[in-house]
This record gives sequence, structure tokens and C-alpha cells, in this order.
Amino acid sequence: MSKIWSVIKREYLQIVKTKGFIIGTILGPVLMAALVLIPIAAQLATVGEQKTIGVIDASGEIFPGLDKKLDHKMKDGRRRYILQEFAPTTDVNSLRLVLSQKVLSKELSAYLYIPGNILEGGETEYVSLHVSDFEEIRRISETLNGVVVEKRLNRAGLDPQKIAQFIRHVGMKTIKATAKGEEEDTGGTFAVSYLLVLILYMTLFFYGAIIMRGVIEEKNSRVVEVVLSSLRPFQLMVGKMLGIGAVGFTQYAIWALFGFGLTRYGRAFVVSSFPAASAFKMPSIPAYIFIYFVVFFILGYFLYGTLYAAIGAMVNSEKEAQQLLMPITMFLIVPMLLMMLVLRSPSSSISVILSLIPFFAPILMLMRICVLLPPFTQVAGSIVLLVLTVLLMIWITARIYRIGILMYGKRPDLREILKWIRYK
Amino acid sequence: MINALEVQNITKKYGDFSAVEDLSFRVPAGTVYGLLGPNGAGKTTTIRMVMNIIIPDQGSIKVLNETMDERMKERIGYLPEDRGLYPKMKVGELLLFLAEIKGLSRDRARKASDFWLSRFDLADWKNKKVEQLSKGMQQKVQFIVTVLHEPELIILDEPFAGLDPVNTKLIKDIMLEMKEKGRTVVFSTHRMEQVEMICDNICLINKARLVLEGNLSQIKKQHGKNTAVLEYEGDGGFIGAFPEVEKIDDYGKYMEIKLREKVDPQDVLSKIVGRVRINRFEVQEPSLNAIFIEKVGERHEQDMVGH
Repeated sequence: MSKIWSVIKREYLQIVKTKGFIIGTILGPVLMAALVLIPIAAQLATVGEQKTIGVIDASGEIFPGLDKKLDHKMKDGRRRYILQEFAPTTDVNSLRLVLSQKVLSKELSAYLYIPGNILEGGETEYVSLHVSDFEEIRRISETLNGVVVEKRLNRAGLDPQKIAQFIRHVGMKTIKATAKGEEEDTGGTFAVSYLLVLILYMTLFFYGAIIMRGVIEEKNSRVVEVVLSSLRPFQLMVGKMLGIGAVGFTQYAIWALFGFGLTRYGRAFVVSSFPAASAFKMPSIPAYIFIYFVVFFILGYFLYGTLYAAIGAMVNSEKEAQQLLMPITMFLIVPMLLMMLVLRSPSSSISVILSLIPFFAPILMLMRICVLLPPFTQVAGSIVLLVLTVLLMIWITARIYRIGILMYGKRPDLREILKWIRYK
Repeated sequence: MINALEVQNITKKYGDFSAVEDLSFRVPAGTVYGLLGPNGAGKTTTIRMVMNIIIPDQGSIKVLNETMDERMKERIGYLPEDRGLYPKMKVGELLLFLAEIKGLSRDRARKASDFWLSRFDLADWKNKKVEQLSKGMQQKVQFIVTVLHEPELIILDEPFAGLDPVNTKLIKDIMLEMKEKGRTVVFSTHRMEQVEMICDNICLINKARLVLEGNLSQIKKQHGKNTAVLEYEGDGGFIGAFPEVEKIDDYGKYMEIKLREKVDPQDVLSKIVGRVRINRFEVQEPSLNAIFIEKVGERHEQDMVGH
């Protein structure tokens, strides 16, 4: 036992002391924060530019209203859009050609063509150098729509203000029924469960690869036999997996602290610059989700960790390992693809079956637990199946490992691997 | 006499291939023991089985009078044929780790590693990474790893392979020093001259089986005084055709002549005189190399001489 402990210590310290780990651990959350904060900051900082839009109003009824309504202000208080009317001539096409030229020469940022039959259902046309600023297009389109609808109502002798009241949008809150009562949920559950599953998914990939690289390194540097003259292959394998797993936990502990700080103080910052953001409530996440997260994290880590260790023992180089990694990668990607299916109907029989399959369970069962806590028998069933599979995998891998780490040269084929497993 | 190592009827098969077949030998405590054999004879497999790294299909192994198991690993120092250290670890940390898994306390491990590092002139390199050391220095560190925990039995697989002359002497000296302290050294090799210099007992393995075992000087005596050594100039190939001569090992300027039974070496000498220039003619025990070649067969001659 103390030998395993020595191995754990060595693996742990060797990784934690590297620059890569320190940079990754610090930079990880900084990058995450930057991803959220930089666009916000950028939006806050830019004033934007004033845009001149040419308007050909063939109906002659829309321009004044549009000019009045499209009065969005920039940060410095000036109007964002300056509308310039071009009186329609008999030959509209030649006028449009002129405006097109003005757009090309950037004299106008865009021009708008309003046909004569606009009130009867005609379509307007927006011409610009690029039509990818969806926010701007939506703004202009909606304003124009408002002006046109108001005109139509007026023409029909209706009071636009009354109508507006009548057709006011009916709101619908999304509320989760929980044992503690009803709780409003504005998509937070989805966001949190998605985040947790994503973390799990990336960890299995990332730390699995570290285990594999460690095994290959020990093989390539030929140090493995020196170590085996003091302990069993099994002790080395388990020590390695526990040590590297401990590195993972360390990293998450640091990130969790950081995340806690960010939600505590960062939210105030976001809300102060975007009052609308206060509508997004942090969902209250029940403690059992975190407990299950840890359970599935550990089981998933051991399940995939043993697979990676076995592959490391079979090959001579990381390049050789790439081909063998395909099946593992599939095992990890398939549940990510099936995630939407499970999210949409977490209790359907297909979701239940998929989440019981041990190789999918860490991701899919956790997903189900986040969305809608399944019956206890199902959760327990998937954990039991997972534990049994992990034990089986450790047994198989230990047998592959003890032979593979001393084998150099040609990569063994499946028949040979099966022989290794049967050896005494 | 107490045996430091007792191997009894061990067999290891990989499918149809026999790596070691019904092998038995004994290593008396306090001696230097040579495990000889051509490449692929099964030396490394045997040593790995002794180290409990590979489990034999049949047979038993006793180390220091106890059945070999994991616990016993702490009392054995092992230098594998494939040398290796963790390249990214600092020398001092590496020695501490490897001593700790041999069961040494941290305190004792630190003292021992300091002692050996200064003995091998590596004290200044303690905080350097292994990969920063020269090849020769890495070999020294590797050897420290083997003896750091003061093992009672030291097993070295091809200890002289790839060593420079300075380190070769260092290792030979330490092997003899260990013997003086009453410890036992077992090493494998396919180079005979080293065996003759330091071994008390040997065993010879070929194609997974034991060919010869016992005390080195007794073995030589058994093979009789029917060998003559000739140092000469000229073309000596004709000697092999003499009816008195069973076979020759001709190295160009040096030749070992194996004589048939009841042949007087003087008769042979008189037949050579005048045909080549003789610098030395000596009747002696056969060299281990000659015995080896006789036992293992001509096919391996290239192997032996080539190294």
C-alpha cells in the first residue's frame, strides 16, 4: 500500500510541478472569463458609427413615420441612422442604380426601397454591402413593420394604440416542479447540466490521454522494469491512475473556487452593465447533482483511464496509439450526440436504456439526473453496472498491462491481446 | 552451504515457444555467479522470473532461503537489460522515489542516495534532470539505483553492455566489493572474458535449457589439459587438418588448438615448427570461450566473437 502511495505521490508531483499544469490551471478560468467578458466589454466600449441610409419611398406614405421612429441613439447621444429620402422618379430602376453606386462608394451604408403597394402587402428591399449585421437588419425591419402596420390600421379606421394593447404578447414563465415546490427556471438547468457534462467529457478525454502518455513514456524510457523490480504492475497502474486523478481533482478544486468567486462578484458586474441580465436567475442546483457528478466522474475516470492505460501498454509511440484510440473516442462522442435526444425526453425508454449502458452512463445518466431525477432504481442500476464494468476493465487491463509494458516492437493484434489476458 | 538463490525446474512458455525449459541452478551465498548463454537463450526471461516480474508456468524459486514473493523484492537489487530512468525527474528525487518503493524510509533513502552520489562524483548533479546528464553519468545513476537499498542479492542483466571502460571498471570493482561484504552477485552475459575474471560459479543456458553448471575452475579441469594456445605469425590454417587435432579456433595471430585424447602436445608442436613463426606455445586449460563454443555449437561462434 505504501508503495502505491509512493507512485501516487510521484505521478502527482511530476505533473503538478510542470509549467504546463500551472499555466493551464490559471489560464483555463482566465480564458473562460475572457470568453464571457471580452465581448461584453467590447460592446460597452464601442460607440459605433453613424450610418446614412437612403430611402426610396414609392408609396410616399412611409418615410416620415420611419424617419421619426428609427431614432435609435448612439452612446454619445447622436442618432445612429440618418435617413435620406430620394424622391421616386418615373424610372425607378435607374434611380436604384444610382443608389447602388452610392452604396458601393460607401456614400450610403445602405438603401431601402419601399414599393408603392407596401400597404397592400408589397415587400421592401434592403440593399447594403453586406447583410450579415442581423441585429441592425432586425432593428430596421421591425421599425418599418411597425410604421406600415400603423398606417394600415389607420386606413381601416382602427386605433393603433388600442390594437397594440389587444395583441400584446402573452408571456409564459418556465417553472420546474420540484419536491420543494415550484421554481422558476429560465434555462439555467440546461446550462448547468450542459456545463457539468461538458466538463466530465473533456476530463475523460484529457486525463485519459495523460495516463496513456505516462505509460508510453515509462515504456519508451525503459524505466518500467526498474520500477517493476520493486512493485507489481498492478500497483504501478493503480498508483498512476490515482495520482493523475488527484491532479484532476486539484485542478477542479481550483476552478471551482474561481467559479464561485466569479458568480459571486462577476454577476454584479454583468448586471450593472446589462440590467436585463438580472432576469437570468442562477438556478438553484440541488446538492445531489454535485454528489452524482463526483460519483460519475470517478467511475468514468476509472473506466476510460483503464482503457487508455491498456492502449498505452500495447503501443510503442503516441502515433501508434492514435488508431487504437478511435473506439474510445467513439464511446465518448456517441453520448454527446445522443444528448439532445435524452434532454428532450429524459424518461423515454430509449433514454433509459442508453443511460444504463456503462460506457455511456457517466455522461447520459448524469444528464438525466440534471434534467429530471430518474427513479432511484435506474440510477443505482447504472452505478452498479458501471462499477462492475470498471472492475472487469481493471482486471483485463492489469493483465494486458503487465505483459504489454515489457513488450517492444511490433504492435500486438487482437488475437495476441486475448492470449495475454489468458496468460498466468 | 547456504544458497542465495535456488531455481528449481522452472519453465516458461509463450504459446508454442519455450523461453525457459525445466531450468535448475543454485547460487551459493557470498559468491559471484555468471549466467551465460548466447542471445535469445532465455537469460533475461530467467532473471525476470527470479524477480517475480514474469511468473513461471512451473517450478519454484527460492531467494535467500525464502520462497520468492513481492516482499523479497526489497532485498534484491536489480539492473535490467533495458536500462531506463525517468528522464524528466531530478536525479535526487528519482533516487528517493526508487529507494522508497524498495521499502526504505525517506530519511534512510536520502542518506543512502547522498552517499552513493558523492561516491560516484555525482553530488553536484543531484538537482539536475536525468535527461541533462551524459550517457555515462546516467549509467552511474542506474547503477546507484541497483545498490542504493543495500540488497543482499544483486542481479545484473548484461551489466557491461554499452559501458565505457571507466564505468566497466567501476561496476566490476563494486561487484567484487559486494562479494567481500558477503553479498551475492548474479549477472548474465555473453562475454566470456568478464566471466573468467570475476565469477566463482557459472551456468550455461542454450535454447531455453541448462547446458552446464558448477564451479568455474572445476568445469575447466573437467575439460582437461588438452588445449594448446599458439601465438604465431604466418598462415596456420593447415594445423586444423592434423589427425591429432580435434578442432581449432583461429583468430589470425592467436589460435586455440583442441587436441584429441591421449595426444602429446609436443608431437603437434614439432609438426608446426618451421612452418609458421611461433611466438608462444602453451598447454593450458581450455578458455571458457572454447568450452562455451563446444557446448553451444559452432553456429553461435559469430555471436560470441562478434561482441
